[in-house]
Amino acid sequence: MIGALSPTTVVLVVGAFLFAALPHLAAMPPWLAVIIVLAAVWRAAVEAFELRRPNWLIRGFLTFGGLALVILHYGTFWGRRAATVLLCVMIAAKLSEMFRLRDARVVAALGYFLIATQFLFSQKLLLFAYLVVGCALVTAALIRIQRDADSAPAPAKNFPPTAAGAASVVRDGFLLMLLAVPFALVLFALFPRLASPLWGMPENALDGRTGLSDEMSPGNIANLFADDSPAFRVSFDGPPPPRSERYWRGPVLWRFDGRTWRRLFYSNRAPERTPRPGPGAFAYTVQLEPSERRWLFSLDYPVRAPEDARLTADFELINKTPVTTLMSYDVISQPDFRDSVDLLQTMRRFALLLPEDSNPRTRAWAEELRSRYPADDRALIDAVLAWFNREDFFYSLETAPLGRHSADEFLFDLRVGYCEYYASAFVVLMRAAGIPARIVTGYQGGFWQAADEYLLVRQSDAHAWAEVWLEGQGWTRVDPTAAVSPSRIRDGARSAVSGSGGWLSSEWLYQLRNQYDRLQNLWNRWILGFDARRQQNFLASLGIDKLPPGLKAALLVVLAGLVLVPLALLLQSTTNGRARPDRLDRIWLRLRGRLRRAGIRPSIGETPLELAGRSAEDLDNGHELITLADEYSRLKYGAFGSAKAINAFGRKTDRWRPRRRNPSALKQS
Amino acid sequence: MSSSRSSAKPAFPDGGRARAWLDAVQIRFAAWLRRRGPVHPPLTLGYRQIYILPTRFGWLVGLLLFAMLLGSLNFNNNLGLFTTFLVAGIGLLSMHIAHRNLDGVRVAGCVPGQAFAGDSLELSISLRDTRDRARRGLVVESKGLPPAAGVDLPASASDETILSIPTRDRGWMEIPRIRLRTRHPLGWFEAWSWFWPEHRVLVWPRPADQAPPLLTAGRSDSRNRAGDESDEFHGLRDWREGDPLHRIAWKASQRHQHLLARQFTRPERDRIILRLADAPGRSLEDRISILVRWVIEAERNEFEYGMELGTTNIEPGAGRAHSVRCLNALGEFG
Repeated sequence: MIGALSPTTVVLVVGAFLFAALPHLAAMPPWLAVIIVLAAVWRAAVEAFELRRPNWLIRGFLTFGGLALVILHYGTFWGRRAATVLLCVMIAAKLSEMFRLRDARVVAALGYFLIATQFLFSQKLLLFAYLVVGCALVTAALIRIQRDADSAPAPAKNFPPTAAGAASVVRDGFLLMLLAVPFALVLFALFPRLASPLWGMPENALDGRTGLSDEMSPGNIANLFADDSPAFRVSFDGPPPPRSERYWRGPVLWRFDGRTWRRLFYSNRAPERTPRPGPGAFAYTVQLEPSERRWLFSLDYPVRAPEDARLTADFELINKTPVTTLMSYDVISQPDFRDSVDLLQTMRRFALLLPEDSNPRTRAWAEELRSRYPADDRALIDAVLAWFNREDFFYSLETAPLGRHSADEFLFDLRVGYCEYYASAFVVLMRAAGIPARIVTGYQGGFWQAADEYLLVRQSDAHAWAEVWLEGQGWTRVDPTAAVSPSRIRDGARSAVSGSGGWLSSEWLYQLRNQYDRLQNLWNRWILGFDARRQQNFLASLGIDKLPPGLKAALLVVLAGLVLVPLALLLQSTTNGRARPDRLDRIWLRLRGRLRRAGIRPSIGETPLELAGRSAEDLDNGHELITLADEYSRLKYGAFGSAKAINAFGRKTDRWRPRRRNPSALKQS
Repeated sequence: MSSSRSSAKPAFPDGGRARAWLDAVQIRFAAWLRRRGPVHPPLTLGYRQIYILPTRFGWLVGLLLFAMLLGSLNFNNNLGLFTTFLVAGIGLLSMHIAHRNLDGVRVAGCVPGQAFAGDSLELSISLRDTRDRARRGLVVESKGLPPAAGVDLPASASDETILSIPTRDRGWMEIPRIRLRTRHPLGWFEAWSWFWPEHRVLVWPRPADQAPPLLTAGRSDSRNRAGDESDEFHGLRDWREGDPLHRIAWKASQRHQHLLARQFTRPERDRIILRLADAPGRSLEDRISILVRWVIEAERNEFEYGMELGTTNIEPGAGRAHSVRCLNALGEFG
């Protein structure tokens, strides 16, 4: 049956689509978003104001022009972002030729899909509201479409189709959605998860908003500092390490071409020796936000790699696949460990390598230092750090880019920079002085959420420091930034630049964000982090993990059914059942409530006038009640129940309070 | 009422073995349905009469959900999973609602109208809610026919809907199995019930488009042509109950202070006997069609007419009931 779409339906479908597309629209190029919104709004306006329908030329342009724009901007239809943007464009194009019920249905149902795809990009707590409201709106649109289908072609004789205005349909949509929530929760908890994916994740899902990269050229993590979003959260089994020890180790960089630091291929070996867990070790769980990278972060020195990851010779943790969804892993770190007491000759060469003909001033300065401390590396390093501290070095995010002799320029001219600048210049200086050195990138510090006992590490906590190899001690951490700006290490990146720039919000907002993150943490732990492993634990805690799979499935069905049945009955009494009392009746019911509280019980089958007449005897202002009851009857059954009159009646009635006649006075009379 | 033409369904030209087998299956299926409970109106739809299956759109949504489930499971995307389960829950609820929407609906009656062959027969079906629940989007349809407009029933109300059934041949026609369905609220599930109206309907033959003029056709045994009441005014008489209003002579009544009715000389109405033998035409059906046309003409001209149809003789008469009698005789003839 092909029915006609009513204007209300079209507006609802367009509204549901726009809401479902909202986060997608925010993430796509603005001009594309504007085209989609315009196309959708236009379609709604055509229906609402009876304009001319878009002709084939415009529809064709929307379809093929949209396709062309997407391919122009993204270069491909593959990749999650390009694909979802394409979906939005196609739905918008479909809207322009949506004249039949069937088309409207498809558009509306794709709304569910659009909502689900958003979670490939982010699963923030806030998006749960989007999920719930979006599903309700799409459901409402589908209800409205079905109303159209049923009322076609001509309304029945005695009763025209029940008024299905947008408001009542949206209410039904919300109701249906709310009643499905418990069912969804049961399924969510019990539905078996995949321990490993069936197919891989397309690359480049996060719109280039990625975490720490595996190379470093001073100046390129600056954009991370402005990013206040969480990088990961850590909960410790015991007490957390002191602030100054919270160095979260990421990629270790060796090769320097004068501008950029890169990893060394040899680093990918397995470590020759690993630390032993024992006294002084920290055991903790890291909940890593998606980063599109394979780096996992740990404190110095991880004892072994978590599942599906491996440990490199530089004690980096590398995951098997890029981290595209929230993942959590357990690590044990033993800080009391000597990394590479014996340095291989090849590695030593790499750790001393510097580009030819660069940084002459730094080299000269290194030679001078070396002549001052001919054998004592430790003393030399201390002297450099003291020099950093003494001279006019400043920690700031607002600094200039460096040229070819980057270390020279920074150490002797610029002297304003942040961790990357210091670490880079420091390592160049060390290598020039003949001390093997390398750069470690990662995060430093984090915000301790005392109430929930977890450490929140933000992208803005990104850091770079140096490691030098010392005879007998192996690789040793040296943080030149700490020498310049101790507060950066003590209190985090925020404090080091406070007052210098507006890149972080005001204090109370910062606090608010910390509070919000606590909720987000719970959300991550219980909803997003609910994976195959956690599900096993959950089922074990209920004691149903040992059941055979068939029985488990049966249990799932039974439980889901149990949840659904009472809900369906509830639904019956609300949507499908009697109409809820209209405004006039609600006014009267409120009045009855006040009477009841005053001790006058309305009895069954009593008309308003009878009730008023009976209770007037007990009330001081009983005559007013009779007037009100009279007016109610006239509004209800008479021909004059205009909205205005009902409003006036409501105002009058809601002001009225029963005043009981004084019982003692009654007795006397 | 000799041999009734059993079915209005067109007989399939190729009566292949597969077709016969299919028919047999359908007959068994119908018998099974009838065994499950009352199937003739009036009946109240209950658990045993209501069937429910996903619609095509429902399957499509199911497919979409499956895709969402696979994707979410694969990427371990918990919010995606939750969306999938939420929509699945909405779907299950909608299935339940569709069932409840039909449960307790009473098909109170099913009254066929009358039709000439080739016209559509209007079947008026009255529906009532017996469970004090509002019903939405109840649609009546029959196989191969466009569905009737949907009916919304307020709680405890009743309403009727009209299903048009096309007819083809004259004679007794079985009303096909009728389906009462609902896809409320989302259109993902269709709940339906079947019922058979017990009536058989006599479909009248199709009137011929062209027929010889009536007067030459009948062997008129009256002397005059048809009297038109305005022709010959005869006089006035006292008004009696039953006289039509337009015959009241208002001016005269005013003068005489009581109602007077105009009287006409009523020349005997023309009495015609319509005979099958008089109808020209190549085949029996053509001649019957011409007779039908004559009956209609005679009725319009307020003639008195009788009919001789083979062994059946209908005494001359006039009026709606008489014409129905004649048309029925023609419908059954042969």
